[in-house]
Amino acid sequence: MTLKDLNKKCRCLAKKVQQCTVSQHCVGQHGPLSETCHAGKVKICKITGDRKLCARMASLGVLAGEEAEIICPKKGSQCLLKIQGGTLSLDHTTSSNIIVQSV
Amino acid sequence: MKKPITMALAGNPNAGKTTLFNELTGSRQHVGNYPGITVDHKRGHFTYKDQKVTITDLPGTYSLTAYSVEEIVSRDFLTNNRPDVVINIVDASNLERNLYLTTQFLEMGVPLIIALNMIDVAKDRGITVRCEKLAELLGVQVVPIIARSGQGTEELIKQAIEVAQSEKIWNPKDISYGDDLDEVLMKIVSIISDSSFLSSTYPPHYTGIKYLEHDDQILTLGQKADPVIAQKLEQMVGAISDHLLKTMEVYPESMIADHRYGFIKSIIRQGVLTHKFDIDRLYTSDKIDKVLTNRLIGPVIMLLILFGLYQFTFSWSELPVSWMESLFGWMGGIADTTLPDGPLKSMLISGVIDGVGGVLGFVPLIMFMFFGIAILEDSGYLARVAFMMDRIFRIFGLHGSSVMPFIVSGGIAGGCAVPGVMATRTLRSPKERMATLLTVPFMNCGAKVPVLVLLIGAFFTDHQALYMFLFTMLAWFVALVVAKFLRMTVLKGEATPFVMELPPYRFPTLRGLVIHTWERTWQYIKKAGTVILGISIILWALMTYPGLPESQQDNFSAKRTAISQSYPESIRSELLAYNQETGELSKKGKQLKAELTIIDQEESGAGLRYSIAGKIGTFLEPVSSLAGFDWRTNIALLGGFAAKEVIISTLGTAYSMGEVEVDASDSLGERLVRDPHWNSVVAVAVLIFIMFYAPCFVTVVCIAKEAGSWKWAFFSMAFNTVFAFLAAFLVFQIGNLLG
Repeated sequence: MTLKDLNKKCRCLAKKVQQCTVSQHCVGQHGPLSETCHAGKVKICKITGDRKLCARMASLGVLAGEEAEIICPKKGSQCLLKIQGGTLSLDHTTSSNIIVQSV
Repeated sequence: MKKPITMALAGNPNAGKTTLFNELTGSRQHVGNYPGITVDHKRGHFTYKDQKVTITDLPGTYSLTAYSVEEIVSRDFLTNNRPDVVINIVDASNLERNLYLTTQFLEMGVPLIIALNMIDVAKDRGITVRCEKLAELLGVQVVPIIARSGQGTEELIKQAIEVAQSEKIWNPKDISYGDDLDEVLMKIVSIISDSSFLSSTYPPHYTGIKYLEHDDQILTLGQKADPVIAQKLEQMVGAISDHLLKTMEVYPESMIADHRYGFIKSIIRQGVLTHKFDIDRLYTSDKIDKVLTNRLIGPVIMLLILFGLYQFTFSWSELPVSWMESLFGWMGGIADTTLPDGPLKSMLISGVIDGVGGVLGFVPLIMFMFFGIAILEDSGYLARVAFMMDRIFRIFGLHGSSVMPFIVSGGIAGGCAVPGVMATRTLRSPKERMATLLTVPFMNCGAKVPVLVLLIGAFFTDHQALYMFLFTMLAWFVALVVAKFLRMTVLKGEATPFVMELPPYRFPTLRGLVIHTWERTWQYIKKAGTVILGISIILWALMTYPGLPESQQDNFSAKRTAISQSYPESIRSELLAYNQETGELSKKGKQLKAELTIIDQEESGAGLRYSIAGKIGTFLEPVSSLAGFDWRTNIALLGGFAAKEVIISTLGTAYSMGEVEVDASDSLGERLVRDPHWNSVVAVAVLIFIMFYAPCFVTVVCIAKEAGSWKWAFFSMAFNTVFAFLAAFLVFQIGNLLG
């Protein structure tokens, strides 16, 4: 293996680690909260899913038009969302039903 | 005498209801920095200036719509018991979300007073709340308090009593939910009022809102009360729901929530709240969460913290545990030398001191373990553990809310399956709840910990904390695998979403830590002094009676006489003098003493084997020996069906009765290590069986009660025992093969 190859591999690994830890900014993008890859502010566009989930989210203040802050994005799994002064932990099923837009 | 007043404490989870309840009533209800600690309501009493007050602590809720068991419990209490005043605890540092529940109390029209709690936390965050303005806008009194220190609580109670005694009529607050919904609500309320529909329970306006919110419980009540009116209302609500879905893509309940939050914002923006710092800044709690719940390092930190807890527990408790062992050894020695031979001496030494002492000896260790858990719980870290574990729990068909029942049952070793089984009430899905209910007894409860400590301490002395950690991980692994098996077979069903508000990190107070540690330790001590003492004496009796038949006793006496006769008179006199502590033994004398001791041991062993318990143990031995358990271990394991603590006390009794004249200060661990039947493979097989076999009797009753059927309780007993035996069998056989 040449030094160049090793460097390439290391960079690839570094990129993977970076994807897991460092924020990636993708402002203006629409999509489910579960797919949001960066910490920071988002605007809630819509809540999908069944009636009970929508009602539960509404009672917790997760409503269309509200601004929230993603504290700990865990792409593809759970996330921590700071909204209405509180911090909500949401699982994948729930966060995939919350459509957000980066602001 | 003034008429007693009834008060209810209601609010969001973690707003400080139970803290205030304890402060007012002087009781010691469990308070934790974890949502859902209070599942049922608790009642207490106090007197304020000759005024008797009965106060009820309700479970924390975000709303009064029947989404969860806590919400149903709270609402049912308010409607069925109609307290004279409801004290709504509002977290001043999180006003917006907390006032959401307040708006629902206002809609319900209950006599209300707001206790604005944690004003100190709000101040630290640069938040100032103008109480007078808030009171004026909401139309209810607002009293700032700090429940933890008791500041403002006297004023709160004074004002709450005034509200309770006032003649004011509390009408439901009319909040606008938008033109579409307001119009329909007006029509619905008119129908409800005209037909007195559910009017004995709820105000018409409130029933109307609940119909719009599609509240399952109210819909069912309505169907039962008047099916015709109920159907008419449902049709009207159905029509507006369809309209809102078509035009705005929302359900009426979301629209109502939106307008409630709008109402709150309108109040807050009228100068109620001022922020000293940037409103969008992240608080310290959020910053800590960024690290502690990080996808990569979060689980590593969690494992390190849990491992640290074990290191702390074992290293700090080692010395006090050895003191306790010495204390009970000394007590045994005193009883041995001072009491005359007979059943009373045998019962005191083998039944009480060895039995109960074996359990009480672990009090320091249990205390340190509970102290560590109290720190994790009160700081708010346990809630983060639930959040991180949810991802893993999903894989096994469980819910993130299952974490707390697992932890309470002994997930961090040292809990109890009974409150763990009860804590499953917070789970909404019946199948997830049942899977949790049936697997929480696999955790290492406080009763199993001493057995683990004893056997690990005896056979794996060098790495006690590591082995303890590994056995705890094994308990989790087995519980999760069994849960998955149940969810794939008898408990098939959809998963429900995990949504939980994380409490902020808080510095635990020393008072809180001491109370938590003591309340759990006291439970352990109390059980040892009552149930365990009783069972130990019963088991001692089962292990003592009916006693050897006279013919066999004569045989042993004849053997003793024959051995004594084979020695010269001088040696026999020498031994007699030695027994009376008046002389020394020569080489021949020691030889005689050893030969007689062997006969005594044989007689004692034969007596134990001939006892009722011995006969049961021996009867089971052909099967149990496949997993490495001898008849004495069988007796202890049978005792464990009554209470797991009994295992250790019975082992203590069985192994002290089988070995008379052994140094009384010998610990049970040392006796087991010396026993030819025990080795590290047997120890692991026994541990595996104890960890996973049938839950104790109290837990079984609790499972039957919570599951609503004895079928599940019997299933739990049979399934767990068969599973545990197979696992122990495999460990023993494979262990022996590998040498």
